[in-house]
Amino acid sequence: MTVGGIGMRNIWRNKTRTTLTVIGGAVAVLFFIWLRTILWAWNVGVEYSAKDRLATRHKVSLIMPVPKRYVDNIRQLPGIKQTTWANWFGGKDPKRPDEFFATLAVDPESFFQVYPEMSVPAADLATWQADRRGVILGDVLARKLGLKVGDKYTLAGTIFAGDWEFNVDGIYIATQKSVDRSQLIFHWAYLNERLPERGKDLVGWVISRIDNPSRSAELTVAVDKLFDEKDVQTTTMSERSMNNSFMAAFSAILTALDFISIVILLIMMLILGNTIAMGVRERTREYGVLRALGFSPGHVATFVIGEALAIGMLAGGLGCALSYPIVQLGMGRYLEENLGSFFPYFRVSASTALVAALLSVLLGVVSAIIPARQASKLTIVDALRRVG
Amino acid sequence: MIPFNYNLRNLTVRATTTASAAFGMALVVFVVAAVLMLNNGINKTLGRTSDPRGAVVIRKGSDNELQSTIDEPNVGLVMAAPGVAHTADGAPEGVGELLVVILLDKIGTDGFSNVQVRGVPDSVLKFRSQVQVTAGRAPQPGTDEVLVGRGIRGRFKGVELGQTFELKKNRPVNVVGVFEDGGSSSESEIWADLNTVRTAFGREGLVSSVRVHLESPTKFDGFKASIESNRQLGLEAQRESEYYEKQSQGLSIFITALGFGIAFFFFVGAVIGAAITMLASVANRQREIGTLRALGFSRRSIIVSFLLESVLLALAGGGFGALASLALGFVKFSMMNFQSWAEIVIAFEPNFQSIGVAIVVACAMGVIGGLWPAIRAARMSPVEAMRA
Amino acid sequence: METSTEKSEQSSAQNKGKAVDGPAMVELRGVTKVFYRGKEPLRVLDGINLDVPEGSFEALMGPSGSGKSTLLNLIAGLDRVSSGTARVAKRDLTSLSDSELAKFRAQTVGFIFQAYNLMPVLTARENVELPLLLTNLSSAERKKRALTALRVVGLEDRNDHYPRQLSGGQEQRVAIARAIVNDPAIIVADEPTGDLDRKSADDILLLLEKLNRDFKKTILMVTHDPVAAERATVLRKLDKGVLI
Repeated sequence: MTVGGIGMRNIWRNKTRTTLTVIGGAVAVLFFIWLRTILWAWNVGVEYSAKDRLATRHKVSLIMPVPKRYVDNIRQLPGIKQTTWANWFGGKDPKRPDEFFATLAVDPESFFQVYPEMSVPAADLATWQADRRGVILGDVLARKLGLKVGDKYTLAGTIFAGDWEFNVDGIYIATQKSVDRSQLIFHWAYLNERLPERGKDLVGWVISRIDNPSRSAELTVAVDKLFDEKDVQTTTMSERSMNNSFMAAFSAILTALDFISIVILLIMMLILGNTIAMGVRERTREYGVLRALGFSPGHVATFVIGEALAIGMLAGGLGCALSYPIVQLGMGRYLEENLGSFFPYFRVSASTALVAALLSVLLGVVSAIIPARQASKLTIVDALRRVG
Repeated sequence: MIPFNYNLRNLTVRATTTASAAFGMALVVFVVAAVLMLNNGINKTLGRTSDPRGAVVIRKGSDNELQSTIDEPNVGLVMAAPGVAHTADGAPEGVGELLVVILLDKIGTDGFSNVQVRGVPDSVLKFRSQVQVTAGRAPQPGTDEVLVGRGIRGRFKGVELGQTFELKKNRPVNVVGVFEDGGSSSESEIWADLNTVRTAFGREGLVSSVRVHLESPTKFDGFKASIESNRQLGLEAQRESEYYEKQSQGLSIFITALGFGIAFFFFVGAVIGAAITMLASVANRQREIGTLRALGFSRRSIIVSFLLESVLLALAGGGFGALASLALGFVKFSMMNFQSWAEIVIAFEPNFQSIGVAIVVACAMGVIGGLWPAIRAARMSPVEAMRA
Repeated sequence: METSTEKSEQSSAQNKGKAVDGPAMVELRGVTKVFYRGKEPLRVLDGINLDVPEGSFEALMGPSGSGKSTLLNLIAGLDRVSSGTARVAKRDLTSLSDSELAKFRAQTVGFIFQAYNLMPVLTARENVELPLLLTNLSSAERKKRALTALRVVGLEDRNDHYPRQLSGGQEQRVAIARAIVNDPAIIVADEPTGDLDRKSADDILLLLEKLNRDFKKTILMVTHDPVAAERATVLRKLDKGVLI
């Protein structure tokens, strides 16, 4: 039995109010976790950017392709270990025109080597490499479209009109959290052969692996220098910079979410503080008794804070417990499947939950500071005189 | 009926508690109004009050102009289709435009952003009659002079009246004028001469879209049928209003989902705050309630009285929140529209609907939060209550 | 102002002849207490001189507003004198700091309130243990002492009951157990029987007598109940802040 411990027991005196406060606090914690997870998940791409990959594309506009021979020029640059390329195809499932997923035309020999985190069983990879009309799907996409290895599939082109027929040769899984598991990958050559003459031999962007990550900055400059005087210039960025600049485009929203998550914490403090203040008003006489018995003002403050701490812990615990089914299992699954390119990995990280729990406890204590001070400052005689 | 004044005064008695509950509700109303205003802003920006006679023709299967290409000869065919209006001198009212996206240096923050450049024919200002050149002058046809939209002027290097920037390397253009278009998304674009853009980006003989004015809105179906029945053209026609609606759909859904998700959490928190406040209020006034009942006021009048009080509380808080949200009318921010990959500037547009909905939400909070406390108040027997 | 001895003689007319003579437990000289309500100073006690010998059982009576509770509070260290000196159990209260005063209250004074003032979230035993939290005793030791105190007041078998499960009289007895658990030198009681029916009141007064007689506790009781006052050995009267 301790003074703080007795303080904690006070939460049972008004069960309704305590319950409402705990629920309110738990909702705030849940909300906080949800927002922080959104921010975190959005950032996952940046976090897991490969340190040894560079992306090169047309300097002027991302919708303009670069000549294919640039790939060889880049590969020959000292410091570049390997290159691959990809074109954005922009196809759609003719039966589900509203579904969005990435469709890429790539070099079959090198693509999966440059992106080892997209993992395909060796036999399937070999089949696909030999099959010009072969296609490899991400596991989440395959599940959504109901496709398995061996099926046939037709894509409707948007930028490149017409129907494009494929054989499903393999399914890739992700060995890293940041991978979009809903992509469709096929042979660049298949695309190229159906293009009109002046559209041939162009690639959307070139991805290179470098042998020394610390040379990343100097290599990005070196690559662009190769094409500086040519008609088509390039801009090269490390994968991390590219993801960062993508994020920057949404900075307004991210800042807003950040701001709101702080506001939530303040609101929670308000709800908690309100309840604690009510409790303090009701128990003023008891504080007088404690002081009369010889307890110090500090003890009285502890008494009040103990109660706030208990509520904070309950709210934090409940909020965290609810966050798992609601945010991760509910929302998370939905986002991973439907907006996989933005949110390939939407999980409540342990650190987020921990921070939320700690914050709720901390806020409980902070919200009690003013009421606790007020309670402890009363003279004993005044305190004893108060009625409820 | 219990006098209204009674409720009014009771709210002012416990000032801090009332204030904090009201604040919670103000926040909810603020967020709800903000989301609605943002949505309205998006719709206005991307949808604008589009011309009911307007139709947009793009390549079949494209989501938007950016992905679509139309050959020059087909432009003439579209303009010759039945239903298209003609000017006094017999020319069809229509334009073919080429849309590209270029990367420009942002002023202020570090980094680049995508900006839409629209290659327009000489007749564009006549066709888009609601566009006004509000600074500088219209460009000379066939030159390297460009107009920039009000929304992006001054935000990128070289994009300001009298300045120069490069469309691509060694292709500088001069900014000679600024235009306004009723707040629509075109104000985030740069308009250059069609041929200048074609040669700069190797799109000779192509346009992205054809826009026409029909003789009257009812002519659309005939127009659409004639365009789409010609399979060789491979084009599809949409009303201008539909086209713009689709463009903003993704963004709109995203903002709405996020915004209402946030509002929902705040809603729950505010309702709980209101319930706690009202419960305390009821508890404190037990004797009064007993007296009222003993005097002959019915249970129903007690419930109504307390509900009224909590609705008053909600309206006070909500009104404050609604007022605060009007201040958002001054806020503008830019973000990337992920459907078009280009930046757009969005503003919060207040309208009666957003304020109206916000007030309704406030009342709902008042009723939901106050219902149970009101019932509890009414359930007490007069004798019990007076003994308290 | 009349000296304390004269006062004692005056009021000794109302004692039962069982007055105890001994070293003073309480010694007040020229004690004045002024309260400020707004800007108006209110002189609640005016130049009080008082001696309470060790082992005495004294009652203090007076009309409402006479300052009797204030006097009790000063003696118990709940409040400070505005001027004058107060020595209780050989401690000079005016020289003690706030924390020393708190310690004084914990170790030297046992307080009994009119409204029992038990903590509803604690059992009877835990309520009695409360003052012991301020000591270094182990949990087992605290429990033992609490039960002992409860035994003295005759409520050992209800030690695990919560206050809401006890009658008014029982609650007050628990409160008394709490007051004595630290073995204080002096017990002060402010209207201990004020909220009780006749029968329970009698039980409480019997208990107080027992504490005074068998345990030799000095007891100072404020009351407006003449029957309660009867039980004390010395009766003092207070009116308008002055002992009469």
